[in-house]
Amino acid sequence: MLEVRKLTVDFPGVRALDSVSLTFRRGEIHAVIGENGAGKSTLMNVLSGVRGPTQGELLLDGKEVRFRQPYEAIKQGVSMVHQELHLVEDLSVAENIFLGREPMGDRLGISIDRATMHQGAAHFLSLLGSDLDPTRSARELSIADAQFVEIAKCLASKARVLIFDEPTAVLGERDAAKLLSLLKRMRDEGRAILFISHHLEEVVDIANRVSVLRDGKFVAAFERYDGVLRCKDGKPSREDALAHAMVGRPLGELYPTRTPRASAPPRLALNAFGAKGKSSGINLTVAPGEIVGIAGLVGSGRTETMEAIVGLRKSVGEVLLDGKSVQFQSPRQAMSSGVAYVSEDRKGRGLHVSLSSRVNCTLPTLDRFARAAGAVMDIDEERATTDAWIRNLGIRCARPESPISSLSGGNQQKFAIARWLEARPQVLIVDEPTRGVDVGAKAEVYRVLHQLAADGMACIIVSSELPELRGMCDRVVVLRGGRLVGELSRERLESADAEERLIRLASGLSETKVGTL
Amino acid sequence: MNAPTEMNTERIGTRVAQLFERWGVVIAFILLFAACVLTQGSDFASVENFRNILNQHAAVGILAIGMTLVIVAGGIDLSVGSIVAVAAALGMLTMNALLELGWTEWTAIAIGASASVVAGMIAGSVNGALIVFGRLAPFIATLGGLVAFRSIALAMADAGEIRSQSASMFRLIGNGGIELPYFTNSAGKPLTITFATLLFIVIAVVAQWFLSRSRYGRQLVAVGANETAARYAGVSVASIRFRTYAIMGGLAGIAGLLQCSRMNSVSTSQLGLGAELDAIAAVVIGGTSLRGGFGRVWGSVVGVVILAMIANMITISGISPYWAGAVKGAVIVLAVLVQRSRVVR
Repeated sequence: MLEVRKLTVDFPGVRALDSVSLTFRRGEIHAVIGENGAGKSTLMNVLSGVRGPTQGELLLDGKEVRFRQPYEAIKQGVSMVHQELHLVEDLSVAENIFLGREPMGDRLGISIDRATMHQGAAHFLSLLGSDLDPTRSARELSIADAQFVEIAKCLASKARVLIFDEPTAVLGERDAAKLLSLLKRMRDEGRAILFISHHLEEVVDIANRVSVLRDGKFVAAFERYDGVLRCKDGKPSREDALAHAMVGRPLGELYPTRTPRASAPPRLALNAFGAKGKSSGINLTVAPGEIVGIAGLVGSGRTETMEAIVGLRKSVGEVLLDGKSVQFQSPRQAMSSGVAYVSEDRKGRGLHVSLSSRVNCTLPTLDRFARAAGAVMDIDEERATTDAWIRNLGIRCARPESPISSLSGGNQQKFAIARWLEARPQVLIVDEPTRGVDVGAKAEVYRVLHQLAADGMACIIVSSELPELRGMCDRVVVLRGGRLVGELSRERLESADAEERLIRLASGLSETKVGTL
Repeated sequence: MNAPTEMNTERIGTRVAQLFERWGVVIAFILLFAACVLTQGSDFASVENFRNILNQHAAVGILAIGMTLVIVAGGIDLSVGSIVAVAAALGMLTMNALLELGWTEWTAIAIGASASVVAGMIAGSVNGALIVFGRLAPFIATLGGLVAFRSIALAMADAGEIRSQSASMFRLIGNGGIELPYFTNSAGKPLTITFATLLFIVIAVVAQWFLSRSRYGRQLVAVGANETAARYAGVSVASIRFRTYAIMGGLAGIAGLLQCSRMNSVSTSQLGLGAELDAIAAVVIGGTSLRGGFGRVWGSVVGVVILAMIANMITISGISPYWAGAVKGAVIVLAVLVQRSRVVR
């Protein structure tokens, strides 16, 4: 249905895609995988008309096409659901779905037929198995709901080719499962689905065809037949084979081996703590060298609670740091006491996308680079520090001065963490540390967190990825509806049914219902 | 197969667009300068004429410098023209009162001048407080200031004029200067560069330095580019924004002092009227993004000079001054069109 031939895209100083040829067929889920910076997002951007290719051609139903603008692609039936969602917050769900294609109540196109629009919106949402109220404001939507609205928008535009850029990265386990079954349904209805994901399990589960990109080049293909994903020589392939093709070298153990430490007095303790209006009554301790995980579905109050610790929200209850009661008014105050929080939302809160890598890297620790009472910034020193982090975390980036928006999502994420590591915190709270990060970079992030914990840092990891929590944490607590509903010890985490237990706790399902999840 | 060539022209187009985006204000300046020289000849291209331009527009220039900082931080200040009036009026009333009490001229002027600057900073702090603590949109808060500060100035002198009681010394602040070596005016006397001009230049250099090299400047850019992200990164957003409006107010106080010293009087209904728009126009022409997060003081300085040259050209050429506004308006719109990034997302 959609085909690219010898596609090349150049950015200043980087060749993002190098002569890539791929075919996307109707009724297939075609997964494109690769490390951060391998060129996946660039490929999707070309397909959806966000940017033009430097060279090469695009064929739709065998005819050459050029999309100069996303709407040209959409008109031809090629729609993309972006990694970062683009809803107009001031409009309602229905208005967003029909944005630019509003059903008109009269021939002249003066008044919008609201009833038809709301009905239509409800219809498309119900196709997705969502019972969202079309009149709700987009501002109030959770990320999962916002994504459903985005997909409904694509359906409303009669999309034949749907492109998903890491659709499950922002979703909790349950919503992700829902989304994947939705993808299958859309495939069976004869659409071509393009799917970028870092969750290799997902890829193995649902993809009919997998293409692997590395450094902008096409390096390997897998195809499903007889119900199993196989590489060229017909061997059945699972996650490890895909990962191997992505990085081009055998991957070491993803998670470092954690050795239990002798118990120490807690560095951070929450006492009947909570974010005002979002969570309450949470008791939790983190000792030096310990990594504690926090699980919970989207909307469980995990992020809000963490934000309340560092003073980004009003809190209830008490925070104890080394046994002393503290109440931080701002991240700045928290940082000066050694508590740092890495936000889950790197585009909106975690980073300044319009500014350079260097500025982003040193912003939380500006005081350290200020000379003469802040009148001069030591830019050379900043650059050296940025370079050091680039090397330390293996960040792929042209120069410290290039805008951080030119980096791939995973490399941006590394900076989002690096800037807080630069503050040398005693307590590090990371919210979704590997969202949108590829396997290789994930291993890097895990290695760094593990090392810091080994050096005595207390660490909290908030995550929707259960394997990550299992692999990294000494203990995992589960939040549901703003309350702490359970805890799994290291031994429990190692047992085979750990993930099932976590899901059960997080979703509040009774034991009998879990089977149908 | 003409796709590759088409691609190339597209890329050259992007380059040109980037060039304009970065250097548009300089190109505009050169074009305008050339036009002035061609039409006015040596009348225009004299050092003396330039000195006059700078001297007359030093006050607006100082406002534009402050406005650059405010706009980089993602704000706007509509009240600066009114602050100019209220600060100048208060300073002059203070000076006159002290002179009547029999203080020496020198101390009275010093205290009066300080009163202007302090009054400006206080007015700016009121703006800052409304915006930071009152959580008002900068446009609304300073629109209130625009109306209210003007009214306070009017009330101070029954909407009339306040004349300076200082015999001659006060005039020196705005009119006095240093003789330039080598340059003479049309009458053959040595040319002076005024204190006002010198102050404008010094403030511009310091402000540019602070914007691009200091910690405050970095935080300013961070706040303007994305306030939420700045807060998450531990930048004290409230303090940065508050300080910026206070600095803006202080600079408006200085501008007011220079203006009233130049005239040796304060017309409470006229002084600084519409100055906020000139300042904003200069900033925009200079290439500072009205969305915040990017800006440059030197651009605003060139912007002020461009606006001044337009006014100057119209005066010299004898065209009705009523046309000045139309030309200015066209230049402002053109500047933004040329500098607008082609990549609109």
